[in-house]
Amino acid sequence: MTYELNTTIANLRDLRQSELADYGAVYLGDIYCRLYEGNFLERLPDLKEGLRILRDQGKRAYVTTYAAPRNDFLPKVRKMLAAAAEAGANAVEVHNLGVARIAHEEFPQLPLHVGGFANVYTAAGVDVLRELGAVRFTPNYELSLDEIAEVTSESGAAMEILVHGKMPLGVSDYCFLLDYESKWGTDCPTLCQKDLFLKQGDWAMKTVGKGVLSGKDVSMLEHLPRLIAEGHRNFRIETASESAEYRRDVAAVYRAALDRYFAGGDFVDDEWQETLTRHARIGLCNGFYFGKSGMEYAPSQRRQAQWSSF
Amino acid sequence: MLAPAGSPEAVRAVIDAGADAIYVGLKGWSRGGTRPELTWDEVVSAQRTVVEAGRQLHVAINTIPTSRERARLFTFVPSLLALGVRDVIVNDIGILATLHRTFPELRLTASIGCGALNSADVAFFRDLGAHAVVLPGIVNPEEIEPVDGIAIEVMVHMVEEYALLGRCWMPSYNGPKGSVKRTGAGACFRICQQRWEVYDGDHVVDLRLIPSRQISRIADVAAYADAGVAVLKLQGRSLTVEALAPLVARYRSAIDGITTDCEPAALPPMWTVVGR
Repeated sequence: MTYELNTTIANLRDLRQSELADYGAVYLGDIYCRLYEGNFLERLPDLKEGLRILRDQGKRAYVTTYAAPRNDFLPKVRKMLAAAAEAGANAVEVHNLGVARIAHEEFPQLPLHVGGFANVYTAAGVDVLRELGAVRFTPNYELSLDEIAEVTSESGAAMEILVHGKMPLGVSDYCFLLDYESKWGTDCPTLCQKDLFLKQGDWAMKTVGKGVLSGKDVSMLEHLPRLIAEGHRNFRIETASESAEYRRDVAAVYRAALDRYFAGGDFVDDEWQETLTRHARIGLCNGFYFGKSGMEYAPSQRRQAQWSSF
Repeated sequence: MLAPAGSPEAVRAVIDAGADAIYVGLKGWSRGGTRPELTWDEVVSAQRTVVEAGRQLHVAINTIPTSRERARLFTFVPSLLALGVRDVIVNDIGILATLHRTFPELRLTASIGCGALNSADVAFFRDLGAHAVVLPGIVNPEEIEPVDGIAIEVMVHMVEEYALLGRCWMPSYNGPKGSVKRTGAGACFRICQQRWEVYDGDHVVDLRLIPSRQISRIADVAAYADAGVAVLKLQGRSLTVEALAPLVARYRSAIDGITTDCEPAALPPMWTVVGR
């Protein structure tokens, strides 16, 4: 395997319902909320079972951690890290610097992957976290590909790139969906399982309670050659708040595209783009990768040439 | 008490109102963009005013510069030191580590935008060389755990937007102005403070603001002091002198009241965001 395609699954129910053939690795857990339905990070027997399921399927099994933990989270975080280490997790993803310090000091056998909320913007930031055992870095989502290339070049570190899915835009300390419990007759933790979007004109964001995600799906399918040419080999499809069908279909597209590209072939089929478009409720975007507003979408030069020939 | 100042007039006013220390943003290098910043000449003047008053000046250099900008940033740190300014507020772990290594005489504060929320975060920034770390006012006094070797500041007067400071890029996703945290034009245009339609599937089910609230912990200053908090910090570089000076004076009174056991009065509405 020359590359890794991975995703996130929040609970055992979703893991059991998911077809993971096209993924090489999975992060377990929801980073936003302790009350998220069946959150692996709160249910340690579930976490151990999830890690076992992934291992039995030959996947690398990762565990993620909370993006914004208060002090009262930390005892549970420690128990979760202990369970992950005992169950043989291949790595733990950290978004919070204090959790990174705890993991490094108390569970040094767990390699650290640094998540997008850890705010790695610079090579100097990479160097700081390397000293805590970090081996892979998701740069802050606001960085352009040019800036990521600069960080990669200066640091030589392995990056993980969000190639598809709804990009995290923010994390909150409280959940405004709780305002709707009585109004809608739906209680926590079922509230954030709904497909809820915030819209204002062309602007759209998805809400998962304490987390805000891009309304559009980041899609870098057409730009995979550039990512590969710049040395990236770890690609994430963000599906924590998506259906099992989304998780399966999007992975199939990226797996086929990457396999064909690494085999030397031309790698964009129109039907792949149709699959991604069908699953994107609001549309596609490129996030911040091209240094513009995060919700714009830029076709590849190849696609632009195809269009201009008509 | 560490009070904000967005102009030379505000520097004078918050000193007169009882601030122990004053923080200002250096033009072009302080996070937020739209909030008032001081030019270099104004920082020089502010330092003179602050020193004459026997107080301390903190300078916010809390954008996250690109590599090229970073090199330029490091060239004027010696000028700050020559001016007598040692307290610098930064927002990026890489910048903090590099500044600590290069200029060990600096007293570096990890800005509220660094996102520290718990005692392990505080220890992380201590290990990195920070002199102080800022926690948001959502952290209650009973949550505070002192960590040896680093001062804890709490932003006791601040607006808590829906997304945590330093953990939000909603404005740059939806708008063309760029990141709040990067050097240049980036600005928070309060996207969360506009009305949003809430969709459940294809149906509009509500029209609402994304919630935010004014945090004013003036009644808790004694509890924070008892918990080992070294510095009580106020947000508000964008406030007018007319609003800022009485706010600082009210917190001065509350802090002084710690020793005389007075119960501070509630804040008047002009200092809150009720109705936003």
